[in-house]
Amino acid sequence: MKTKTELIKFNQGLDLESGARLNTFDLMVETYGELNEDKDNAILVCHAFSGNHHAAGKSSDSDALGWWDEIIGSGKAIDTDKFFVVCSNNLGGCSGSSGPLSVNPESGKLYGKDFPLVTVTDWVNSQKLLCDHLGISKWHMVAGGSLGGMQALQWAISYPNKVKKAGVFATATRSSTQNIAMNEVGREAIRKDKNFMDGDYLNHNVKPKNGLKTARMLGHITYSSEDIMDQKFGRKFQDIKSKIEGTVDYEVENYLQYKGEKFSDTFDANSYILMTKAMDGYDASFSSNGSLEEVMKRIKAKLLVVGFDSDWLYPPKRSKEIQLAAMNVDVQCSCVILKGEQGHDSFLFASDRYVKIIKGFLDSK
Amino acid sequence: MNTSLVHIIKKWVPEKSKVIDFGCGDGSLLKDLIDEKNIRGYGVEIDHNKIQECILKGISVIEKDIDEGIQDFESCNFDVAVMASSIQCLKEPHLALRKMLKLSKQCIVTLPNLGFWKCRLDLAQGRMPVTPNLPSSWYETKNLHLCTIKDFETLCFEEDFVINEKFFLNDKGTKSTMASTFPNTFASEGVYLLAKK
Repeated sequence: MKTKTELIKFNQGLDLESGARLNTFDLMVETYGELNEDKDNAILVCHAFSGNHHAAGKSSDSDALGWWDEIIGSGKAIDTDKFFVVCSNNLGGCSGSSGPLSVNPESGKLYGKDFPLVTVTDWVNSQKLLCDHLGISKWHMVAGGSLGGMQALQWAISYPNKVKKAGVFATATRSSTQNIAMNEVGREAIRKDKNFMDGDYLNHNVKPKNGLKTARMLGHITYSSEDIMDQKFGRKFQDIKSKIEGTVDYEVENYLQYKGEKFSDTFDANSYILMTKAMDGYDASFSSNGSLEEVMKRIKAKLLVVGFDSDWLYPPKRSKEIQLAAMNVDVQCSCVILKGEQGHDSFLFASDRYVKIIKGFLDSK
Repeated sequence: MNTSLVHIIKKWVPEKSKVIDFGCGDGSLLKDLIDEKNIRGYGVEIDHNKIQECILKGISVIEKDIDEGIQDFESCNFDVAVMASSIQCLKEPHLALRKMLKLSKQCIVTLPNLGFWKCRLDLAQGRMPVTPNLPSSWYETKNLHLCTIKDFETLCFEEDFVINEKFFLNDKGTKSTMASTFPNTFASEGVYLLAKK
């Protein structure tokens, strides 16, 4: 699989929904496969909240597999022998695109907590500039799960002539009250970490690792489900030798400790806050005073909406809402609810039916 | 679905109309209607393989159990709702018909006729009918509510459904004078275009 990782600089600037403006910005982009002569085999995949541009294969600097490696690759559901797949790190992220860890070109200092609020629509607008930069006139598909699914949907709404198909997985047209509530607990854990320093931790050479870790531990509970946790860990005790913390009794505790620790090493706390705020703030119907039908009317793409039965963060009923709104306004839209073994995270894994459905959708007229 | 039936349904579906097909199978009927009548079509199906075929054909398909989900589409204002050979498999056919006529101006319903003479003959010999239209044995059939043409039309009368058009097919799946003249005995299948009063 031909893979290319590149930092692309955009000098034309970007007006954000908040009213702020980025005069220049960078996007860290990874591509897989090759763009054909007609430039009509391009697929944009959008990452979820903690993902980044590295969607498939092993990364160049470590052996880490991309977040959608089960789905993207040679002969996989999104076949890189056929398609040119593009993934960019969202603005405000912490994996190379402009965000809290970048230098503000105006001041010459790190953005830190001053990086402006970004929205799903801002990401889509930045990716539109990327699309132009790559010379792609229309995506064969834009797809993603969770926060990435919101982006895929917003692409179809914002740029109806630029999207042929949209894969909208494990997501909703807006975050639920419960989604916002969960995210707020995560943010509060970060804000209350003494090293957070009102977001100014970079200037003090510290990191609110404990807060990030707690936030991530909670996150992992929401991505899983009661049944899955039962199956995976049950009430098994953690063996003493591999305990991460002395306080750990059960395997599930150790697992959450491990995941939280790993995440807090690599993720930026200000990015965490920006990303979750973008997720909470997303409402596809916002621009039309709450009428989802009004905005969905604009869509010309064919939609494939997939929900997973074990997902309680963005449960199947949220997928059905998208389908129904599409049907109300004559947008072509299929909707399937799959058996997911992994809760909300199910959209990341290549279950048989999921793969078949994505392939069928990509191959259909 | 046999060709006479497809032909009849195509005639009844207006050009550019919005159509929902409950139990759409592999999406063939919708595909024909999209290609030939330029409709905006949606299918509802529960069988995984058939859903897969719909997606491959580019047909919008929704995975759903018809028994539970007809009312979900009430806001969608369809011109035609189709239910081909499925009504007798539902838990409450009369309620399903009411719901279909709530979400759509017209309904096309096809159903096997238990009054067909071959069925009567089977019953007279003390056996459950097995015909081309009712191919499964009693222990395998999905049919819960079989009825005769007379029964169905009585229901339509009682429920105030208007029968705008009807057609009857014999067990070869074609029109015949006998089936049209004495449908309760000689029609193997009834095809109805219903509307609300």
